[in-house]
Amino acid sequence: MINLAVRDVLHSWSKFVLTGVGLGLLIGVTFSMAGIYRGMVDDGKALLRNSGADIWVVQKDTLGPYAEPSSVRDDVYRGILGLPGVMAAANVTYLTMQVNQGVKDVRVMVVGFEPGQPGEPPYLVAGRQITRGHYEAVADVRTGFAVGDTVRIRRHEYAVVGLTRRMVSSGGDPMLFIPLRDAQEAQFLKDNDAIVSERERTAANPSLNRPGVPGLLEAVQASQTASRSVNAVLVRLQPGWEAEQVAEPIRRWKHLQAYTLAQMEEILIAKLIATSSKQIGMFLVILAVVSAAIVSFIIYTMTLGKIRELAVLKLIGTRNSTIAGMILQQSLGLGLIGFLIGRTAATLWAPFFPKYLLLLPEDALSGLVLIMVICALASLLAIRAALKVDPATAIGG
Amino acid sequence: MTEKPAIEVRGLRKRYGEGDAAVEALKGVDMTVQPGEVVGLIGPSGSGKSTLLKCLGAVIDPTAGQMALAGRTIFDEGWTIRDLRALRRDMIGFVFQAPYLIPFLDVTDNVALLPMLAGRPNAEARKTALELLTALDVQHRALAQPSQLSGGEQQRVAIARALANHPPIILADEPTAPLDSVRALDVMRILNRMAAQYRAAIIVVTHDEKIIPTFKRIYHIRDGKTYEEAGEGRPID
Repeated sequence: MINLAVRDVLHSWSKFVLTGVGLGLLIGVTFSMAGIYRGMVDDGKALLRNSGADIWVVQKDTLGPYAEPSSVRDDVYRGILGLPGVMAAANVTYLTMQVNQGVKDVRVMVVGFEPGQPGEPPYLVAGRQITRGHYEAVADVRTGFAVGDTVRIRRHEYAVVGLTRRMVSSGGDPMLFIPLRDAQEAQFLKDNDAIVSERERTAANPSLNRPGVPGLLEAVQASQTASRSVNAVLVRLQPGWEAEQVAEPIRRWKHLQAYTLAQMEEILIAKLIATSSKQIGMFLVILAVVSAAIVSFIIYTMTLGKIRELAVLKLIGTRNSTIAGMILQQSLGLGLIGFLIGRTAATLWAPFFPKYLLLLPEDALSGLVLIMVICALASLLAIRAALKVDPATAIGG
Repeated sequence: MTEKPAIEVRGLRKRYGEGDAAVEALKGVDMTVQPGEVVGLIGPSGSGKSTLLKCLGAVIDPTAGQMALAGRTIFDEGWTIRDLRALRRDMIGFVFQAPYLIPFLDVTDNVALLPMLAGRPNAEARKTALELLTALDVQHRALAQPSQLSGGEQQRVAIARALANHPPIILADEPTAPLDSVRALDVMRILNRMAAQYRAAIIVVTHDEKIIPTFKRIYHIRDGKTYEEAGEGRPID
C-alpha cells in the first residue's frame, strides 16, 4: 500500500516546508526560552563551582552575598580559620557596576579576592593570574577585554593580565577580578568630596572633637575612611569534613550566617531565579499552546482543502483508519520539520544572545516528544472533520 | 447457462426526513442490467437520479426494496452485507462528472490505489493499472500527475480507476457533462468497449443529448419511478 501522507506532502512540499519553517521558528523560540532558563541555572551553578568554596559565610540574617547585600568585617576570616575542619578561608567582595570597554559600557561583576585563596578564578584561557597587590585584573572573555587592555574602576586604572571564561554572576554579568584591597576601596570608600564633607561634619560635632581628648577626632575620621568590610568569607574544608559540621559552629559562635553548597544552590536557583523561571515557564506554556493551535489550524485547513478527494477516497473503499493515519502522519511530519528547524535555529542564534543560552540534548528530546504529542492532539480536529466527510458528496445531486 | 443480471433492483424506495417533512425520492424503482450492458438513466433535476445512484452505490440506505449485484442480494429491506466500504471497493466502480483524480498520486497510482486498498501487492496493482491504461490508450501518461492531463485523458484515467478491481457494475454520474461532442462520444465509445471487454454493467446518468442516442436501453426516472424504453443504439464509430 502506498503512503498517502508522504505522497500528499511530496505533491505540495513547498507549502508544507514553508509551514514547517514557520512552525520551526516558533519552536526555536521555545527552545531558546528553555535554553535561557537552563543558562540561568548553569550560571548560578558555575558561580558557586568556580568560587572554589565549600561554605559561604555572610552577614547574619541575610541571603548574601549573591542574593542580598552582605557586609562582614574583614578580620572575621581569622577566627574561621581556627575552626576544626577549615583548610582555607578568604575574604571576597562582589560589586556589580558598569565599566567602559572601548566605545561601549559593559556591565560586570567586580570580584575582589586574595590570590591563591578561594574566590580566585580557577582557570585562565589567556595571560596569567594576578601577581601584584594592586591595579591588575583578570576578566571573563565576555567582558570583551583582551590581555593588555586597561579598565577604569572608580578612581584607578587596572591592567588586564589574564582572561578566564564562564565566570559570571547569577544575573549573567561577566566577572572582573581585582585584588581584594582595591575592590574594598572601590566598593566602600567614599569619593574625595564626600570624605572632606564627612570630616567637616565630624569636626563640627562637639562630642567627637573634644579639646580635652587629643587624637580622638583623628581616630574617628580615620575609621570613617578606612574600609574594613567584605561581602563574604569563602571557606574551603579539609578532606573528610562535612560542610554542615563546620557551618553549624560558625552560625552558633560567630553570629554569622554560613551556607553550604547545597544551601547556596537552593538560594540561587530556587529563590533568586524562581520568578524568572516561572516567567519562562509561562512563556513555554503559551508557546506550546500557540504551536498546537497553529498545527491544528494548518492541518485542519489542509484537510478542508481536500474534502472532495477525501469523499472520493471514502467512496472507493478507503478505510477511515487509513485517512486518519494520513492526517496524523502529516501532522507529525509537520512537527518533525518544525523540530529540526527549531532546534537548528536555536543553535544558530544562541551565540548572539547577550545571556548564556544552554541547549541540552535531553531538553531537545523532551521537546521532540512534546511536539509529537501536541501535533497528534492538534490533528484530532482535522481527523474528526475528515471522518465526517460523507462519501455521497462525491456523487452529484 | 444463463448469466445472472449484474444489477437487479425491485421496488426500491428512499424517503428523506420524517412525518410531514418526509420526501419520497424513490417510489418503487425496478431495474435490471445485464453484464456487459450500458444503459442510460435519464430524468429531470430532482427526479431521483442521484438518489438512485447513491442507493445503487451503497452510499445511502434505501428505505425499502431489494437489490442484488451479480446475483448476490445486498439489500432486502435492509443491508445484508455489513461492510459496505468493501462492497463499494470490490463490486462497484464509480465515474464522476469531474474525474476527481487524487491530485497527489500519479496516473498509475490513481488507478492502482483500488487494488492496493483491496490488499493486492503494489507491483501486481500497478501491473493491472498499466494494463487498463493501455486498454484506454493513456499508458504514455502513466507517470504524469493528474494536473498534467487534458480533460479527456483525466476522464479515461477515471474510467480505468473504476475498472481497476474488475467490478460487476460501474456507476457513471454524468461522465460527459464537461466534454465537447467529440470527447463525449469518445468516452461513450470507451465505456461500451470496457463493458464488453470486462463484462461490466454500466449505468450512465446523463442529460447529455449528444450521447443519449448511443444507448440501446434507457431508464427514464420521473417522480421517483423508472420507466424503461429501448434506445436508438446508434453506433458510435
